[in-house]
Amino acid sequence: MPTKNVVDERISKFKNKGKDPVKLREKRITECVELRKASKNENFMKRRNITLSSLPDEDALSPDSNDTVTPLSIEDIIKDVNSDSKESQTRGCQAARKLLSQERNPPLKEIVDAGLLSRFVSFLCMDDEPTLQFEAAWALTNIASGTSWHTQQVVEHGAVPAFISLLASPMLHISEQAVWALGNIAGDGPAYRDVLIECNVIPALLARICPDTPVGYLRNLTWTLSNLCRNKNPCPPLSAVLQVLPSLIQLLHLGDKDILSDACWAISYLSDGDNDRIDVVVKTGIVPRLVELMSHKELSVMTPALRSIGNIVSGSDLQTQAAVDAGVLNVLPQLMRHSKPSVQKEAAWALSNIAAGPCKQIQQLITCGLLPPLVEQLRNGDFKTQREAVWAVTNFTSGGTVEQVVTLVQSGALEAIINLLQVKDAKVILVILDAINNIFMAAEKLGETEKLSLLVEELGGLDRIEMLQNHDNDMVYQAAHSLIEKYFGDGEIEGIKVDTTEDAFLFKSPDVQRTFEF
Amino acid sequence: MELNDGNLQTLTEFLRKTLDPDPAVRRPAEKFLESVEGNQNYPLLLLTLLEKSQDQVIRVCAAVTFKNYIKRNWRIVEDEPNKVSDPDRTAIKANIVNLMLSSPEQIQKQLSDAISIIGREDFPQKWPDLLTEMVTRFRSGDFHIINGVLRTAHSLFKRYRHEFKSNELWSEIKLVLDTFALPLTELFKATIELCQTHATDVNALKVLFSSLTLISKLFYSLNFQDLPEFFEDNMETWMTNFHGLLTLDNKLLQTDDEEEAGLLELLKSQICDNAALYAQKYDEEFQPYLPRFVTAIWNLLVSTGQEVKYDLLVSNAIQFLASVCERPHYKHLFEDQNTLTSICEKVIVPNMEFRSADEEAFEDNSEEYIRRDLEGSDIDTRRRAACDLVRGLCKFFEAPVTAIFSGYVNSMLSEYAKNPGGNWKHKDAAIYLVTSLASKAQTQKHGITQANELVNLNEFFVNHILSDLKSPNVNEFPVLKADAIKYVMIFRSQLPKEQLLQAVPLLISHLQAESTVEHTYAAHALERLFTMRGPNNSTLITAAEMAPFTEQLLNNLFKALALPGSAENEYIMKAIMRSFSLLQEAIVPYIPTLIGQLTHKLLLVSKNPSKPHFNHYLFESLCLSVRITCKANSATVSSFEEALFPVFTEILQNDVQEFLPYVFQVMSLLLEIHANSIPSSYMALFPHLLQPALWERTGNIPPLVRLLQAYLEKGSATIAGSAADKIPGLLGVFQKLIASKANDHQGFYLLNSIIEHMPPESIIQYRKQIFILLFQRLQSSKTTKFIKSFLVFVNLYCVKYGAIALQEIFDSIQPKTPLLQALIGLFELPEDDSIPDDEHFIDIEDTPGYQTAFSQLAFAGKKEHDPIGDAVGNPKILLAQSLHKLSTACPGRVPSMLSTSLNAEALQYLQGYLQAATVQLV
Repeated sequence: MPTKNVVDERISKFKNKGKDPVKLREKRITECVELRKASKNENFMKRRNITLSSLPDEDALSPDSNDTVTPLSIEDIIKDVNSDSKESQTRGCQAARKLLSQERNPPLKEIVDAGLLSRFVSFLCMDDEPTLQFEAAWALTNIASGTSWHTQQVVEHGAVPAFISLLASPMLHISEQAVWALGNIAGDGPAYRDVLIECNVIPALLARICPDTPVGYLRNLTWTLSNLCRNKNPCPPLSAVLQVLPSLIQLLHLGDKDILSDACWAISYLSDGDNDRIDVVVKTGIVPRLVELMSHKELSVMTPALRSIGNIVSGSDLQTQAAVDAGVLNVLPQLMRHSKPSVQKEAAWALSNIAAGPCKQIQQLITCGLLPPLVEQLRNGDFKTQREAVWAVTNFTSGGTVEQVVTLVQSGALEAIINLLQVKDAKVILVILDAINNIFMAAEKLGETEKLSLLVEELGGLDRIEMLQNHDNDMVYQAAHSLIEKYFGDGEIEGIKVDTTEDAFLFKSPDVQRTFEF
Repeated sequence: MELNDGNLQTLTEFLRKTLDPDPAVRRPAEKFLESVEGNQNYPLLLLTLLEKSQDQVIRVCAAVTFKNYIKRNWRIVEDEPNKVSDPDRTAIKANIVNLMLSSPEQIQKQLSDAISIIGREDFPQKWPDLLTEMVTRFRSGDFHIINGVLRTAHSLFKRYRHEFKSNELWSEIKLVLDTFALPLTELFKATIELCQTHATDVNALKVLFSSLTLISKLFYSLNFQDLPEFFEDNMETWMTNFHGLLTLDNKLLQTDDEEEAGLLELLKSQICDNAALYAQKYDEEFQPYLPRFVTAIWNLLVSTGQEVKYDLLVSNAIQFLASVCERPHYKHLFEDQNTLTSICEKVIVPNMEFRSADEEAFEDNSEEYIRRDLEGSDIDTRRRAACDLVRGLCKFFEAPVTAIFSGYVNSMLSEYAKNPGGNWKHKDAAIYLVTSLASKAQTQKHGITQANELVNLNEFFVNHILSDLKSPNVNEFPVLKADAIKYVMIFRSQLPKEQLLQAVPLLISHLQAESTVEHTYAAHALERLFTMRGPNNSTLITAAEMAPFTEQLLNNLFKALALPGSAENEYIMKAIMRSFSLLQEAIVPYIPTLIGQLTHKLLLVSKNPSKPHFNHYLFESLCLSVRITCKANSATVSSFEEALFPVFTEILQNDVQEFLPYVFQVMSLLLEIHANSIPSSYMALFPHLLQPALWERTGNIPPLVRLLQAYLEKGSATIAGSAADKIPGLLGVFQKLIASKANDHQGFYLLNSIIEHMPPESIIQYRKQIFILLFQRLQSSKTTKFIKSFLVFVNLYCVKYGAIALQEIFDSIQPKTPLLQALIGLFELPEDDSIPDDEHFIDIEDTPGYQTAFSQLAFAGKKEHDPIGDAVGNPKILLAQSLHKLSTACPGRVPSMLSTSLNAEALQYLQGYLQAATVQLV
């Protein structure tokens, strides 16, 4: 059975704590295996049926129009699309697009299996038939919004270069349709994202950003850019990141909440990597703006801003200091007390990483009043938040000075974590035992171990720790046992052995003359 | 080993012999089986026997043997040979599930255990078919088979409840969820439907309800690590059905047994656990369902009877409500006046009632009753849960809850007033309700420390408590008497002093009550009142105020020890100790009588020490008798020695291990009272005190060191004279002690006493060795405590023998040490001057040295002894003077040594000392 210490494992993921400067911490604790539903806060990877901002007024192309006309059957569509008449092609494409825009069970596979994709792709190049071009682009976009298999069909039929060319279309709604299609393809995963980057999608997209670009168009474009920043294993190439960043920074200074949200998500993806990646983000000077956006009234902006900053404070001490200097510690208290548990959790996670820093940063954390909300969360928070808050306490106690640890205990954190020893999560329990051990080490330096033992006992901690000696998890048992042994028992050291006879000890110092150094 | 009839026959014979009561037959058979178990086909032979043997006994025996074989051999340990052949492994895995499911229950259980052992090693990678094989059985429709599968699944999955999150574990859970979650859900729904169709068939229901309980347990395991996507998507199905089951009742499933929980209770308890898991960990997702569960659970509580079999269910259910009502965002579920009233009326009040089971415990099992009622070991009881719920509700609704309960308290009290004989339990519940409502924070040390301001405790005391205390017949309504005494005890910090003084003689008379609980509570209450602090850190109740009651107090306490069931009552003995300590010289006239009773008690309990607390307080009381009496007249020490030594001798001779540390402490106390001489009775014991066996027990070390120190103080001349051959043994003890981080300070105590008291010429030959041992320890394991003790010793040595002697020793071992710097460090350390001067208040658990192994007697404590005392007014100046002396002895060496070896800060301090001493180094 594997016996490595799971706490050590995670501690080594916190910066500075593994005592191995090269192996700092894993940025976001992402387990590859998840049991939960994908987080509801996360941005959508693919989108279907968004409204184009740039549809010409006279164009009656919106999905809901022409409802009165009975839809064509798939057979009719196939016939129309494959015909040579532009008019039939357009009619077929439009009918296909409408079918694909259905809310429920759009017949994505049927259309693919009907072999229509190569026709659609070929229509994309028909600059002189804008309506056909647009309908084909829309149909393909909807297919690309399906599963990976669907996206793959679109890409393999050569749609990528065609869509990139379409970006330059003088017709804004056609260009916007291409933006959307490319966003869906980029959102599929790192492989297609990098295919797009290889095809120079980034300069083509960035070229569309100019002062008179309509807001709606910019929203879609920002979303597509964010998908190009998204996904790990591998991360997007550094050169691409450097290409995108200046524009993202520019977008982050706009006022539109949707643009801000997607731009923040993009930054959060880019900062979710090793310290080199964080560095690229920090060097743009965007940290103060991100901290500002953490107080944005829209949850959709605040969430990714908080996550970006959370990623940054998981970096080196210097990177963390940039966020601290930008005032992150002044914003965190209110986020720790936010009404949404998911926000509290992210805030507590960021706090746990700042607490893993040097004692100077820990001091700033105290000064900015983070201890009261931390203790509140330990007491009343949602479980996910409590878990992060417990980590914050453990990190704090392993890196803080004796005085800082005393302050923490006085703020009620010890009592709160002792109450949490009854939580239904073995790892959290182990982390708490670790914190208690750290606090004892601080007390040892003050010569107040006995006082602390009494305090722990008064708070009901001794009973709980004793009970944990019956825990089914062996490491929890060990940790509880060793706390009891260390601070509620005694031990003997080897070295000076004494020989005995029946009646008495033999008093004898070693014969060998040696040099003492101590 | 072939799979043939001959081998089956042989195996049968040997299995039969392993059941033989005669070890001469049994042992060789067991040995034989172990010797052949490494052979291929051995496990398959066992499986064949457990399936096909004609003899039922052999079948079960084969199953047990098989399970144990799997337990010992299945795991493949790295670098060790594979103990089960691969073909056997494959064959076992291919057949065992079928076999398990088709076997009778006794064998099924063994095979199910075996499957989970194998599963722990092989599942899922090396046993990919297991899950699908199991899931297929869900469709069999045979609930004997289905329950077998569910039990096996439970033993496979329950580890998800305690293991750490890891990719490996979560991959396994994910796999299990993918294969198992949907069929389990279908089975859950189908089983519930079957319960409806078979609602009148009790046998069918029993099987179906065991399935439902197992399914609920599996739900708990599968949802423990995180909320799986499947269960989030299907929360509606699960929670609706759980909710339905919570509200379900079926007369057929009600059991007659009052004690043992039935199937319905087990299922509902598990559902409460499941709801509590979701409420604690997945609050966000569970929120829409929670209100329904709150309602269902309180309805459940309202309709559940008082029988013991419901206790766990009820306390689980109440604890669920208590944990929910404290959360700010669920406040609204409780704030409606009707809701609060109905919770108070139907959930809290009924569960606070004094039940017949409580009454039985009060009368027949007083120890258990006291432990639950007084010491808080009532975690699983209904009363405790109800109390927790009151406290939880008071967090947000203190005023309305107090108002509602006041109404109840009044009506219960008036019920009682109408007919005290018939309705005394109403008053008990009223008192309990007031207590739980009023107490917000409590410690063993001070009773209630924080009370609900809306409850008038004093008024209640005067109107309802005092009358019971004053009742002339102490044996009438003992439960109410005990309640009244407990009320005084726990609210002692809230009641005015005059009320307490009024209560004291009443409590003293209750010491005579026949009820064990009642007189125990009276003793405990008195003991607690005597520890209360008044102004100026003195006791609240003074010896002068106790003067009118002294004789009756002492009489009743000792008489109470003679009451049936209280011969070793620790509360009474503690009250005796505390009374002695409070009354001080007022007890002297009674001691000649009382010491006889105490030693008699000691003699009795030393035959079989079983009540450690009682024994501890007994020794404390002995110490107090000695101290108080000898303080008045030290000549009486010999009469104590006369009374005690015969018992002590018996304890030492019989090696009553629990009592030795106490005996050594009392002997130290007695010896220390003597003027500077040592009676021969003590010297006769001296060689025995150096025996290693005594020192191996950690509990003996502190008191033995103290006793040896007393020997050295009073008898150093005698030791140097007639017992000089014991000096190496004495130093051997020192050497033993400094080898231990825990005990090194004790070694220094001993060493310092040797240096202080022994004539120099008697130890001169050992000095160098002593230092070498200390240096060695300093080098191998340096701790703050050791360094401090070491510096104290060096200082003492310096004072006793002079700095030059010290320098000579250092030089003879190793010249140039950083000792001086460390010495200066010591002077500048912040001083720890917290010496307790309020020993009267000390509790056994509070004593700093208290460990299970060594019980330090608070009242055997000796005065802090400063070996240097008046000889050195100011140690800093002494250091400067000593250095000065040293520097004049070897001019030029000291200043250069200092400047190279001391850091700047230390040098600066040293300059200060030199100036203060007006000396200069040369």
